[in-house]
Amino acid sequence: MGEVILTMKEIDKSFPGVHALDHVSFEVRKGEVHALMGENGAGKSTLMKVLTGIYKKDSGTISYEGKEVEFHNTREAQDAGIVIVHQELNMLRHLTVAQNIFIGREFKKGFAIDDKKMNEEAKKLFDKLHIDIDPTETMSNLTVGKQQMCEIAKAISHKAKVIIFDEPSAALTETEIEELFKIIKDLRKQELGIVYISHRMDEIKVITDRVTVMRDGTYVGTLITEKCTKDDIINMMVGRVIYEDPKQHSMVAPGAPVVLKVEHLNAGKMVQDVSFELHRGEILGFSGLMGAGRTETARAIFGADPIESGDIYVNGKKVIINSPEDAVKCGIGYLSEDRKRYGIVVQKTVAENSTMAALEKYMKGLFINKKEEKKVTEEYVKSLATKTPSVEQLVVNLSGGNQQKVVIAKWLVRDCEILIFDEPTRGIDVGAKNEIYKLMNKLAEEGKSIIMISSEMTEILRMSDRIVVMCEGKKTGEVSIEEASQEAIMNMATREIG
Amino acid sequence: MEKIKQNPIVKKLGFNRIILCCVLLLMYLLFSLVGKNFAGLPRILSALNYAYFLGFLSLGVTFVIATGGIDFSIGPVMFCSALISGYCLNSYGVPVALSLGISILVGALFGTFNGYLVAYWSVPPFIVSMASMNIAKGVASVFTKTQSVSWPQSTSEQGWFRNLVKIGNFPVGFVIFLAFAIVCSVILNKTKAGRYILSLGSNKEAVRLSGINIKKWEMLAYIICGILVGIAAIFFVAAYTTVQPGYGDQYNNEAIAGCVMGGTSMAGGLASIGGTVIGVFIIALLQEGILALHFTKDYQLIITGIIVIVAVYADVVARRRKN
Repeated sequence: MGEVILTMKEIDKSFPGVHALDHVSFEVRKGEVHALMGENGAGKSTLMKVLTGIYKKDSGTISYEGKEVEFHNTREAQDAGIVIVHQELNMLRHLTVAQNIFIGREFKKGFAIDDKKMNEEAKKLFDKLHIDIDPTETMSNLTVGKQQMCEIAKAISHKAKVIIFDEPSAALTETEIEELFKIIKDLRKQELGIVYISHRMDEIKVITDRVTVMRDGTYVGTLITEKCTKDDIINMMVGRVIYEDPKQHSMVAPGAPVVLKVEHLNAGKMVQDVSFELHRGEILGFSGLMGAGRTETARAIFGADPIESGDIYVNGKKVIINSPEDAVKCGIGYLSEDRKRYGIVVQKTVAENSTMAALEKYMKGLFINKKEEKKVTEEYVKSLATKTPSVEQLVVNLSGGNQQKVVIAKWLVRDCEILIFDEPTRGIDVGAKNEIYKLMNKLAEEGKSIIMISSEMTEILRMSDRIVVMCEGKKTGEVSIEEASQEAIMNMATREIG
Repeated sequence: MEKIKQNPIVKKLGFNRIILCCVLLLMYLLFSLVGKNFAGLPRILSALNYAYFLGFLSLGVTFVIATGGIDFSIGPVMFCSALISGYCLNSYGVPVALSLGISILVGALFGTFNGYLVAYWSVPPFIVSMASMNIAKGVASVFTKTQSVSWPQSTSEQGWFRNLVKIGNFPVGFVIFLAFAIVCSVILNKTKAGRYILSLGSNKEAVRLSGINIKKWEMLAYIICGILVGIAAIFFVAAYTTVQPGYGDQYNNEAIAGCVMGGTSMAGGLASIGGTVIGVFIIALLQEGILALHFTKDYQLIITGIIVIVAVYADVVARRRKN
């Protein structure tokens, strides 16, 4: 490890309602690979966005190569030599490799673009990195791994001195990861500073020199990778005090029947051989890190995305679900994590949204019985304590928590017995959060069965009767609430692959 | 201003629609002042003739635009309907009543074709309707061997269908058109079809994830449009009797202009049949006024073009403000 090239000190950043970074410090040395770890929402990405000028910091200092700097956009950061290789690649798929690498700074011959020179320069770059890619190849013909290598080459061509890898291995195969590591080791030798963001413990152990852990927007600590164990890191990641009381024991009546059984469900890379059971009156928590495949599993069960194989049983009967229409007929309702896009129709009223899934019940011949519609909606507005001036209010004018209640009403009007809550309290303020929790408990008591996907550990431990943990598209564990602990769940959520 | 907007009567009628009505009246006054002999029944009846067929086109396309789609084939499909049914009448001796039925059928078939491709194959509505515009023109030309078709005159025995437009000086068409507009308004606001069409125009994915077969309802909007286009053809021949193959596209813009001027959002999800009706009358009056002032038809093309852009831009600005 060489001298320090980048130091971030006491970085503070707030968004309305969230203290995203609370005086966080972080440094990178030349020739080191420095892992940045933490749960979802710990502040890793925000910190990197502050560094590269996407967000403006509220306070704190950034010094780079001995000078204090402040970048106003990624372009400035890039020109100075700090580059992010994103998880989602920003490539123009129809251009060639060389054209992508030199985009925005093409070599020219008069007015025309000099493709020949660009190809030569790209070749030189690849040779230097020992990468075997043809610069004239069209980007879309490359594998994701190769595309990522192009992205790295592009970073190097910007004379990068610090490269930030944001979950680079998420989409790669084993061999591609090995190649990536070879390149990273190469870059380390060339005295570059490397920030490596990943959830994969085994990779952290293999490739990094130091680990910095963040939690809830704060800096927890930095460890030398060689001298620490996986448990040390996990303890730092989860070692928070849980303010709300976790559930002590399951509220499900013993011998409650199984209402939903999923067996060997496969749907793309993100849902591999997932099996589980849901009992009547149960809240089944789905825990895991971002990209664990929980939402994808829910969408597959709900028929929103196609299923490749696997069986679904509702109340002991095998069902075929090809579309949300089929799922709703089986009594399954899905409350998306993205309400505005997938939950509500913003230009419609509370009443129109509430009866969306069960309009048949409110028809009088050919016409909608608006009186009945209004009546039933008013009942649910009352029982769910939705704050709205009238049921004729457009839902766009409601707060997040109340919009969520409208979506809940939609499924209750439809008599759904199985409710899938995907991040039910995302973007909802604390007071409304507690109301949603109370409501979910009440629904479970009344015999509804709930799957709750949540990335918040406190929420999982507070609400669930039983917890399923997923990691990279696979179910990696299942614990009862009595046995559950933060450490145990995080351990399963970051399980080594392979 | 805000006070006026909050007045319950104004709210019920719609502020924008009241403004549009004022525009319509002002235009009439202006043309009457400037144009020679513009005031009076003959000009009004002539403008109404234009408003009927255009009105049916506009009602139809309102359903499609409500889903967030667009249909550029309505004008040529109307001509195709009129040509095929008229040719059947003249050359195959099909009775008038049945010919009128054929006209509606042709419109409905094109609507189904467009709707199926848009809803089930996910081909963009712009492309589908551009293509079927050409198909409609081509089919009509092939069917009629590129001859224009003349429907019977009112004096002949078969000319009874012209009473659909007017009997003496009484504008029958006006009554029929308003009746259809009311039916359309009921469909859009009081039935399941209308509810789902407007909802999916606003947020298709949310409606799908409510367990609703959105493809079926999206296709239905195009079918309703097609049927209304077929009816538009009837009112076109009832007013003008002669149809030429290869034309019809000029009415697309006018029908869409009437619709968006009336407050139907190009982005989908918001539609007003009342607004469409007033919008259509404005366009029809405009075309009559331009002719009365001895300008050529070209000026009308320019003005309707500008109207579409201004109306859509106003909608874009309104939505941006809401966000």
